[in-house]
Amino acid sequence: MSGDHTFSMTGRERNVLFGFMGLGLLCIVLTFFGDDAVHSRFWSNYLINAVFFTGVSFVALFILAAFTTAYTGWYIVVKRIWEGYAQFLIVGIILMLVLIIGLWGHFHHLYHWADEEAVAADPVLLGKSGFLNKYWYTFGTLIILGTWYFAFARPMRKLSLREDVEGHDANYSLYRKYKWFSAVFLPIGAFTSAAMIWQWVMSVDAHWYSTMFAWYTTASWFVACMAITIMLVLYLKGRGALPFVTTEHLHDLGKYLFAFSIFWTYLWFSQYMLIWYANVGEETTYFHTRINEYPVLFYGNLVLNFVVPFFVLMRNDTKRKAGTLFFVALVVLLGRFLDFFQMVKPGVLHTTHEALAHSGEAAATEAGHHASHFTAGFTIPGLLEIGTFFGFLALFIFFVFKQLEKAPLLPKNDPYLAESLHHHVQ
Amino acid sequence: MSQHTKEVFYGLYNDEEDLLHAIEEANAQHLEIMDVYTPFPVHGLDKVMHLEESRLHIAGFVFGALGTMTAFGFMTWVFTRDWPIIFGGKPYWSVPAFIPITFELTVLFAAIGMVVSFYTVCGLGPGVSNPILDERITDDKFCIAFETDKADLDALKAFFSKTGAGEVHTKTI
Repeated sequence: MSGDHTFSMTGRERNVLFGFMGLGLLCIVLTFFGDDAVHSRFWSNYLINAVFFTGVSFVALFILAAFTTAYTGWYIVVKRIWEGYAQFLIVGIILMLVLIIGLWGHFHHLYHWADEEAVAADPVLLGKSGFLNKYWYTFGTLIILGTWYFAFARPMRKLSLREDVEGHDANYSLYRKYKWFSAVFLPIGAFTSAAMIWQWVMSVDAHWYSTMFAWYTTASWFVACMAITIMLVLYLKGRGALPFVTTEHLHDLGKYLFAFSIFWTYLWFSQYMLIWYANVGEETTYFHTRINEYPVLFYGNLVLNFVVPFFVLMRNDTKRKAGTLFFVALVVLLGRFLDFFQMVKPGVLHTTHEALAHSGEAAATEAGHHASHFTAGFTIPGLLEIGTFFGFLALFIFFVFKQLEKAPLLPKNDPYLAESLHHHVQ
Repeated sequence: MSQHTKEVFYGLYNDEEDLLHAIEEANAQHLEIMDVYTPFPVHGLDKVMHLEESRLHIAGFVFGALGTMTAFGFMTWVFTRDWPIIFGGKPYWSVPAFIPITFELTVLFAAIGMVVSFYTVCGLGPGVSNPILDERITDDKFCIAFETDKADLDALKAFFSKTGAGEVHTKTI
């Protein structure tokens, strides 16, 4: 391949991204000032987006590790993009730090288990307090996210960049080292991410638990990562930055979007059916609330994340057409946001209700009402939620573009480069 | 058993790249290829041979949909009309409980249907004679075969020597 394939952001891209970040910030501020007494809408939106994009960057690192360990060749042409995502973990640490500070300062009421009085009077929460407590949340998050970034994402990126400059010795020692990091990360990432998902997301419904939940959320992250990747690759290709990414690579990315949408649906159904069958009150309340009070979220989630990708991407040629693939990726990305929205919002609304009832303000606030009608920001995403999401997305893309600027887009000394350049799926 | 015997003139190549180039050359010379045999699926072969996309997956979809409807319809009939029983306090028509079996039958119908369709279309099956040109095309040789009565033998010989076929043979099958 000729040329170095360096990337630099154009002024227009920078302006558009900053514009969306500004829009996001505006939405966040508007949410904060139009909120109830404990700012539940603001904090839950923040939690959704922080977890969403931290998760996408975690999954990107996991994909790199899994593909490297499995001797995968085709993805080398998009490797730099996933490396860029994985570096976003450093921003993830900062985003989660805000939630930790909010937890210690009692600025938010996202987690019922953080309310010491409620825990003392509640045998279920008391029983879980060995895991659901401020210390675990704080140190678990910092140590685990720190490990992902400082012990894996950053050194792996450095090795990859060194490989670009130095090339290989006879022993391929840089590549071997990269593979060692990958193999070590797989079990660590798999187990620790589950613990983090329990802490960050599942504990929003503090009484409830599901053994499928960590898988379910990781699958959601995975599909979101693929959707963002497909759109970004198509955009960069259209801009002329990725001439070596062909229809064949997009076909494979499309297959991952298709396959993992189905995998997510499988987990969704497994979680739903076990709870439905066993019919234990503590567990069914989760779905009972969602079906009866959040029908748009509950059914919309399945339509956007299963029906659309399944029926559109089932055919061979829809995965090879840029337009269709982009459309499905966009629908699925919005669907993934909706999925996280429905994981977090009902539990937060419930906790807020109790917190406000406790301080005697329930009747005066909108969130205090149990949702018997549609409430933007709680039972369905409102404009502010969508604006906030696009703000975070712009931040993510901006950060990734900054990473892409630091190194050529084609890892020219990767041992699997030739295989990737000649990749054919049919 | 063999109702029509035909004489086949074929060349063996050692490499799939040579094979692909040879097919392109044959297309350029307007030689009518009878068939191409390879020990493993070769990328790009369908394209150079101008083969249509297989319709097997359409059959797969139809059989799968048939499986979905069979399973779901049958369970619905059994549990609402034929033999309604209450299980675990659930309603008679318990859709979540039907999903796993519906899924299984969808896969089963699609799989069996596609195998049967494939065998039928290709004329394969028990008792069918299946002459083989050369045993090495199941191992490491790539073969292009022509029917001798449809082409000029000298043109074929020139074609094989030009495209680098290692061996050239004639065989009646």
